[in-house]
Amino acid sequence: MIAQLQQFCWPVLGRGGLIRRPAQGAGWALTAVFLVALSAMHEAARAAGPAQAEASIQLLYDIQQAARKQDYAGVFLYQQGEVIQSSRLVHVIDGTGERERLEILDGQPREYLRHNDEIQCLIPERKTVLMEPRRGDRFPGLLLGNPTDLAQHYEIRTQDNLHRVADRQCRLITIAPRDGLRYGYRLCADVDTNLLLKAQTIDASQGVVEQVSFTSIRMGGKVDPAELSSRWSTRDWKVLQPRIEPADLAAQGWRIPAPKGFVAVMQVKRSMGHSNVNQLVLSDGLAAISVFIEPYDTQRGHPLSAGAARRGAINIYGTRIADFWLTALGEVPAATLEQLATSTEYVPVSSQ
Amino acid sequence: MQSTAKSAVDTDISLEESVSAWMDGEASEDIFPDLATAHGRRTWDTYHLIGDALRNTDLAVSPSADFHARLARALDAELPIVAPQRRRSPLRLGLSGLAVAAAVATVAWVAQPYIMGGSSRPAADARVLADASAPEAPGLRDYLEAHRQMAGPSAVRQVSFDAGAGR
Repeated sequence: MIAQLQQFCWPVLGRGGLIRRPAQGAGWALTAVFLVALSAMHEAARAAGPAQAEASIQLLYDIQQAARKQDYAGVFLYQQGEVIQSSRLVHVIDGTGERERLEILDGQPREYLRHNDEIQCLIPERKTVLMEPRRGDRFPGLLLGNPTDLAQHYEIRTQDNLHRVADRQCRLITIAPRDGLRYGYRLCADVDTNLLLKAQTIDASQGVVEQVSFTSIRMGGKVDPAELSSRWSTRDWKVLQPRIEPADLAAQGWRIPAPKGFVAVMQVKRSMGHSNVNQLVLSDGLAAISVFIEPYDTQRGHPLSAGAARRGAINIYGTRIADFWLTALGEVPAATLEQLATSTEYVPVSSQ
Repeated sequence: MQSTAKSAVDTDISLEESVSAWMDGEASEDIFPDLATAHGRRTWDTYHLIGDALRNTDLAVSPSADFHARLARALDAELPIVAPQRRRSPLRLGLSGLAVAAAVATVAWVAQPYIMGGSSRPAADARVLADASAPEAPGLRDYLEAHRQMAGPSAVRQVSFDAGAGR
């Protein structure tokens, strides 16, 4: 309500100041009264701020817990630019923990079967099961490292009026970034269960970068655990276990300055077809950046060209540093990645 | 007027160059008269300090984390210094190139400057790569997939994902 009032007040003030001459004392007195009233409202808003922020952060935490601890099944739609992809999701808690089955419904068939932290990715046309480590939460969960730090970098507000998504009432939460280093988000969480029903990523010009939303959902007792079983029999399929080892980029001489609010959540060395690549993942609790570092092939160059690029909602920045190639990518504004890449330093570790 | 300025620069550089060359064992006895001047003494001290720092890492101070990046950017922004071309032996050229490389190696490497045709706002110029199902940029797919595996909070799944680890 205060925001609306402010929006109402500011244009009036601006116009008054421009048109009226200083001689018209009454106008200025009125303006001064307006200003005093406005600053008082600001103070009131600030006092109410922390409590509201705390409640909103608690709600984000509840959303994360709802995604982990409840039974739900439904179809959700992911949309980015001109691409739409729908997936069927079943999530059930049983005596052994979390079980999840995610089927990609468009394009080539894929299935992701998850049991707690273990994910099998089924690739039917190759009769292959790819084992994946699980990191972070996916939709309808939130990434959320430490929710309490979020308020430093985002302004989180809960709206009172309810919306409706997939035939359920949901509460809208707007998460606005406090700087230009990250995107904002608009979430809608189920009123009864706190489950996230819809999430939009918002850029600085209030455009939707990407969005994901349930189109139909069932919860609690309406979910049949039998839905978890895959339609593929993977008994004679090949099982691939990607080699992923921990790595320490700082010890190798890399100084990668994390953008404000981002902290390193993981460093690994992984094989990626052509070579071994180091991957550093930075996160501010909602957004994530991956920094890849690999040896640079001076003969053949690197398949990705230098500079900024964009693929869907993901921005990419590639550059050469000494005899290495650095690729920074993530769902953050391009300038954030460029700043990170151009201020990264490599100090060769002396062989003492 | 311009020619005198040029020649002054020329002699300055030659003195430093020849001190450096003399220290590298390339004898050029004729520098000694120049060394008697105050400028000569300064050059002599400076080049010995440079030599010491190159040989002994203890003498090299470690600057703050952002220093090198700032320095590199400042260098990029610097106007190129146009100096008259002088004759020099190919051996000498090679040596100074090596010395420069050695000096950089003991400090830090930063990103190669990326020139976007004079534009200072590369963010606006980001090339838009093809969308999920397109076959091009196979290299990129692996990076996106690795990012998704480790940090994908959203529902992005690469429709055309190959079994990357198997190749």
